Amino acid sequence: MSLIELRQIYKIYNEGMENEVRALNGVTLSVGRGEFVAIIGASGSGKSTLMNVLGCLDLPSRGSYSLNGKLASQMSDDELSRIRNVEIGFIFQGYNLIPALDALENVELPLIYQGIPAEKRSRIAKESLERVGLGGRLHDRPSQMSGGQQQRVAIARAISTNAPIIMADEPTGALDSKTGHQVLEILHQLHRERGTTILLITHDSKVAATAHRVIRIADGQIVVDCPREEIALWT
Amino acid sequence: MDLKQSFRMAFKSIRSNKVRSLLTMLGIIIGVAAVIIMVSVVQGSNRHIKEYYERMGNDRITISAEQMGDADISQALYDYCLGLGPLVLGVTPDVSTEGPIIYRDRSTGDMESGGPSIKLGSPQFSLCNNFQIQKGRDLCQMDVQSGQQVIVLGARTAQYLFNYQDPVGKTVLLRGHPFEVVGVYRAKDPDSEYSMDNMAVVPYTLCRLLDRRSTLGSFTVRAAGSAVTAEVSSRVSGFLKGQIDGQRGYFSVYSENQDMKQSDEQNRMMSMVLGGIASISLLVGGIGIMNIMLVTVTERTREIGIRKAIGARRRSILVQFLIEASVVCGIGGLLGIAAGVAGTLLAGQIILRAVILPDLPMSIGAFLFSVAMGVGFGMYPAAKASKLQPVVALRAD
Repeated sequence: MSLIELRQIYKIYNEGMENEVRALNGVTLSVGRGEFVAIIGASGSGKSTLMNVLGCLDLPSRGSYSLNGKLASQMSDDELSRIRNVEIGFIFQGYNLIPALDALENVELPLIYQGIPAEKRSRIAKESLERVGLGGRLHDRPSQMSGGQQQRVAIARAISTNAPIIMADEPTGALDSKTGHQVLEILHQLHRERGTTILLITHDSKVAATAHRVIRIADGQIVVDCPREEIALWT
Repeated sequence: MDLKQSFRMAFKSIRSNKVRSLLTMLGIIIGVAAVIIMVSVVQGSNRHIKEYYERMGNDRITISAEQMGDADISQALYDYCLGLGPLVLGVTPDVSTEGPIIYRDRSTGDMESGGPSIKLGSPQFSLCNNFQIQKGRDLCQMDVQSGQQVIVLGARTAQYLFNYQDPVGKTVLLRGHPFEVVGVYRAKDPDSEYSMDNMAVVPYTLCRLLDRRSTLGSFTVRAAGSAVTAEVSSRVSGFLKGQIDGQRGYFSVYSENQDMKQSDEQNRMMSMVLGGIASISLLVGGIGIMNIMLVTVTERTREIGIRKAIGARRRSILVQFLIEASVVCGIGGLLGIAAGVAGTLLAGQIILRAVILPDLPMSIGAFLFSVAMGVGFGMYPAAKASKLQPVVALRAD
């Protein structure tokens, strides 16, 4: 059984009205444990919507999504929170850090919701920040950091819980190529060392080319789904 | 997530959003303080007026009767009132004459606020007018019967003439006649400049000595409680109707309880009006609190989205916001009470020249209302946002 099973997923806004938008138009997809998948597509293709559905941040209009064999549509709000907390680490495109909290507190947040005691929590959060090269900026607030640093805080937050799945939405989008490369390296390291399943969303085919499997999405539908080795054939 | 953690999170949030927390507190401080001050000042002034009446004497009936010609009804009236027995605590003539009183080189004629009024009184004068002896003794029946030239001084007059010496046993001159000071009354109204303590009493039987008038036209009767004032009034009226020929004289019977009742009524009206103003200010304060709470909604909606996206349960968010709002509003409310007490003391000094303190239940009520407003409107957006899909909350900006 796959880790992630999407069957005929639709996400439709303003359904039945003139301005109906089909952000996802019948997506069927399965991802196995330990895969490194890149989802690529132009802006507006529906890739972010797909990640929101995959990450239990949003519910699809139609279709079934099961994670670890459990149907997301049948889960309660609290169960969905638990999944986002324990099973998935998110790296958002807009970082989504809490401006009033410093780097360390932001990284600690998911651990707080796991009920991990303060000392252990703070130790884990520090390790995570050191891992992304921010060991010296533990008490800076997001507003005191550059975009790349904020992105790395977001990554530290995502990896701090040691979640089996990492979902990253344009993690390199706002970064220069050097830092972007570092970020990708961190994801690969997680994949190699911990066997973390990685879902990487990007519009950049070079970034996508580092994944093991590439899914191209257009107009809310999957148009290509193939191993990396075959990418060369259609790009 | 445990409660301790929620508390820590709430405090962290309060500390890291100082301006927002302060604005919220300010709204509550003003709301609570305004209500406390306004209501307290009104209550204080009511009490002040009531106390004034009480010092003047309760259950007093003032009787005036005048008859042209020879017939002197005063003694008859006096005897009649005394004869009412248990209905009446005391009767005294209520006639004043003027000084000056002179002791050595000091004369009450030089007093800036005007000289004392010299009362012609019976032994029950002090009872009828709520005076109490502080030093020496009061007038007694013997003084009245034998027309002793004795005098009891009011506190202010005594202080003026004798400063800190003991006046009892000294002799003063009243209109050139020597009078022995036998006692001093306790001050009734020490704060007031033109006080009712600037007075003196001599036996009423000395009226011929001091005054050309030989009759006493008015009396004060102290009834045995407010319940019987009306009855005493009507009996006395009945008696006077039989005594006085309407063509050649007049009489009036007037009970001060009527006066007090009227002023009570006015106070109640004023309380209601100011209570209404206070409620409005509380409401306005409440709306201020509501606004500041609602204004931060979008910012907080996003924060709630982030928290939910990384795994916060709805309950954790609600508990955090509840604690946050309670703490901010609670501190604001306490500061508001402090400001209200300070403001009340200040307003009491300025307006009433008296120390007034706020009413406890009212302060608690204002506090609870403001805190409830703050917590209610702090929680409402949080409750709404926590129900959103995280992605919707994240989109808020």
